[in-house]
Amino acid sequence: MRRLAKYLMLAAVIAVLPKLAPNAYYIHVGQVFAYTAIAVIGLNILLGLSGQMSMGQSGFYALGAYGSAILATTYQWPLFPAMLAGLAIAALSGVLVGLIALRTRGLYLAMATLAFGFVVEILAQRWVSLTGGTMGLMSVPQIDYGSFKMGPTYFFWTAAGLLLLVQIGSDYVFGSALGRRLRAIKESEAFAATTGLNVPMWRIVVFAASAMLAGLSGILFAHMDGYISSDAFNIRLTISLLIATVIGGLGFSYGPLLGTAILLGVAEILASLPDVGQIIYGGILLFVLLLFPEGAIGLVRRILRSKPATKKSAVPKALYVSPEKPPPATLSIEGLTKTYAGVTALKDVSLSIKPGTVHALIGPNGAGKSTFINVVAGLYRADAGRIVLDGKDITTTAAHSRARMGIVRTFQNLQLIDGVDVLSNVMLGLSPRQGPLRDFGEWLAGTKHEAAERARAHSLLDSLGLAHLADRHPRNLSYGHRKLVELARAMAQAPAVLLLDEPVAGLTPEEAREIADVVGLLRGSGVAVLLVEHNMDFVMNISDTVTVLDFGHLIAAGEPSAVQGNPLVRQVYLGTGELAS
Amino acid sequence: MSMTNILQLLVSGFAMGAIYTLTAKGLFITHLATGKLNFGQGDFLMVGAFLMMGLLLSGLSPLLAVVAVLAAMALLGYLLERVAVRPLERSGDQTGGYAWVLTTAAIALILQNVVELIWGKSAQYSPPLFSSKRDSVIEVFGIGIFAEEAAIIALALVIVVAFYFFLFKTRWGKAVYAVAFNREAAALFGINVRGTIVLVFVVSALLAGVSGTLVGPLVSVNPYMGLVFTIKALAVASIGGFDNPLGILAGGLLFGIAEAFSNYWDSSFGDLYPLLAVLVLLAVKPAGLFGARAADVR
Repeated sequence: MRRLAKYLMLAAVIAVLPKLAPNAYYIHVGQVFAYTAIAVIGLNILLGLSGQMSMGQSGFYALGAYGSAILATTYQWPLFPAMLAGLAIAALSGVLVGLIALRTRGLYLAMATLAFGFVVEILAQRWVSLTGGTMGLMSVPQIDYGSFKMGPTYFFWTAAGLLLLVQIGSDYVFGSALGRRLRAIKESEAFAATTGLNVPMWRIVVFAASAMLAGLSGILFAHMDGYISSDAFNIRLTISLLIATVIGGLGFSYGPLLGTAILLGVAEILASLPDVGQIIYGGILLFVLLLFPEGAIGLVRRILRSKPATKKSAVPKALYVSPEKPPPATLSIEGLTKTYAGVTALKDVSLSIKPGTVHALIGPNGAGKSTFINVVAGLYRADAGRIVLDGKDITTTAAHSRARMGIVRTFQNLQLIDGVDVLSNVMLGLSPRQGPLRDFGEWLAGTKHEAAERARAHSLLDSLGLAHLADRHPRNLSYGHRKLVELARAMAQAPAVLLLDEPVAGLTPEEAREIADVVGLLRGSGVAVLLVEHNMDFVMNISDTVTVLDFGHLIAAGEPSAVQGNPLVRQVYLGTGELAS
Repeated sequence: MSMTNILQLLVSGFAMGAIYTLTAKGLFITHLATGKLNFGQGDFLMVGAFLMMGLLLSGLSPLLAVVAVLAAMALLGYLLERVAVRPLERSGDQTGGYAWVLTTAAIALILQNVVELIWGKSAQYSPPLFSSKRDSVIEVFGIGIFAEEAAIIALALVIVVAFYFFLFKTRWGKAVYAVAFNREAAALFGINVRGTIVLVFVVSALLAGVSGTLVGPLVSVNPYMGLVFTIKALAVASIGGFDNPLGILAGGLLFGIAEAFSNYWDSSFGDLYPLLAVLVLLAVKPAGLFGARAADVR
């Protein structure tokens, strides 16, 4: 119960902190820290974990603040319903702006959020009848539970209590499958979809959650001093939140707390240097992003890591029961055609892969083999033809849904997530074994969290001779090892149909033999394997059926020996000479 | 609304649209070559406007002042690439590849502060470039239009043509497209990739500077005017589609004219409607009105 104990202790600290404050000013600093950190945590999950840039957090902050303040003041709503309504407004606007995030990312999202924040700022300034403009809204109800004297303390307890809950939520996101998946989405959307994640859905949920946290922060701000004016909600607020996120350490759960503390410290110093404030803020951003991109937390960790090596995570022994192993399935492709801007990559290709067989797809470079895998996996849409899995037409099914149906692939140019270790990369392939509540409970309790998943991933790595690399990060591995890790990830997904895109290219003969053994085992367990490969030894040894493509056309199909003897294949693919061996 | 009114609004919209187009073209060309752009483009415009104003008020001849402003802007573009963009390739980016948004915005913050230290916070008026008074009116086909606006439209057209000539007809333009397509291949063909990237950032800063020089006399200038121009230039570039140089011209003029009419129709919130329209457009048609989604052939 280590984790739970830690949070209870933090709650106790929050409870006694106001008693320790020498005067009211320190309580005020505590209040500002608490509500600011909430917004920064939201931004850290958005930017540091899911890789989405928002330049408009001040907009969500303002919508939460005004939503709650106007309802509680002008419309005389009771305080807490008004606050909840403010939260709902912020979340809803997050979903609406997030619709843009759903369709685009990166630059367009940064741009759209920048414009959104600007529009909200202008509305707050000019819609005076609603917001009071720069003159502000007076006598907004305060969170003081009716006590003027104890008000600031009560506010601090409320804000810090909420901050603790948000921090627990953030810790859970970082420490569970959620964080792992968000990192996967940040680094490679194709990979994430391949492991069955509905990427647009995840993106919009994270975006809306981050907007909601900014809104919560604004709501607390609005009910702190009983007064808000439009001056508080401009681009500088967004920049400040971004600075706190970046300086604390992007992508670390405790970065926002440290970053907010540093931001408030800097703001305190700058109060005496108002003339050069922006030079210093801009300088800090440049300094951190260019020289210490991992921020203060990253710096602390670098110092700690130079001490004796961290203890290795023990290999837990627990049984992993896959929730549902997809039954063996036949994949049929009928008349598949795909063109890119006038170039026909595939023309009327049909083939069928039965459970427990290996079907090789070969052909010269540019024959359309990788396109074929991409269309079957759902990353590209077919122009014509049907893809049928066990009688079910999946031609227009999204890539992540196909992955969940058991169509699993590997990539020719490796797709591994560098932000997490090898073991976690394999765990990305495992589907959730239990409900979110139970997972949260186990995480809070500490010891057994994801033990079964770890054990399963470990045994998969072990079966490929990679167990000793579980703690490493993929970028530190050799090419051959990375290929094997990708195969382990694919196996973790319990495939019914496995699409292997050049699994032995660039491997040593020993490594290739190892892969051949694994493919043989998978075939034995009833998996339908589609293999794209140039290594003819490998193909001819393990394939049951071989299909040959040339410039997108199917030119031969049959048993390996028959295809080897086919004169057309010899001519277009192997040249007129002997089969390379 | 009389016919004269409509024509005058069209001219004003055209003039502002031309400015937005020039500013957005700077965003377009760096985005084309590097996938990145200056989130302080509007602040570069602001710096151009202030430099021009300062030099004119100090008594320098307009021609010399323009040359000096352009030289300063070129230097600024070079420094932006060296300080805020290139070093990111070495440092680990924790944002998933968008740290440049923050580093270029950081440069903008610093520029705002510097300009404020030199010229102060309050709004100021730049002397007119092409006429004796700010509100000199010339008569075209019987309607009075501001001489400044007419001159801006004419000059902006010349620069747009020059830009297209640079992009489509010169070696440098071809180099930009080659670098955009594949840096390594471009280097193997003997193209100076580094130089090309510096060049696009310099061109981008020059376009912002020219826009600032032109816009100074039309609006009042202050150190914080840049954000609006950054937002509008980004909006224009996304209407046109970031990969369509002709679409940006159409998008800019469309945006400027829509804004002129929208402001006339609703003087308090008129400037917001075109922006909101662009946001909706982005959700519905992410590639813009004229951008085509290129097939990803691999």
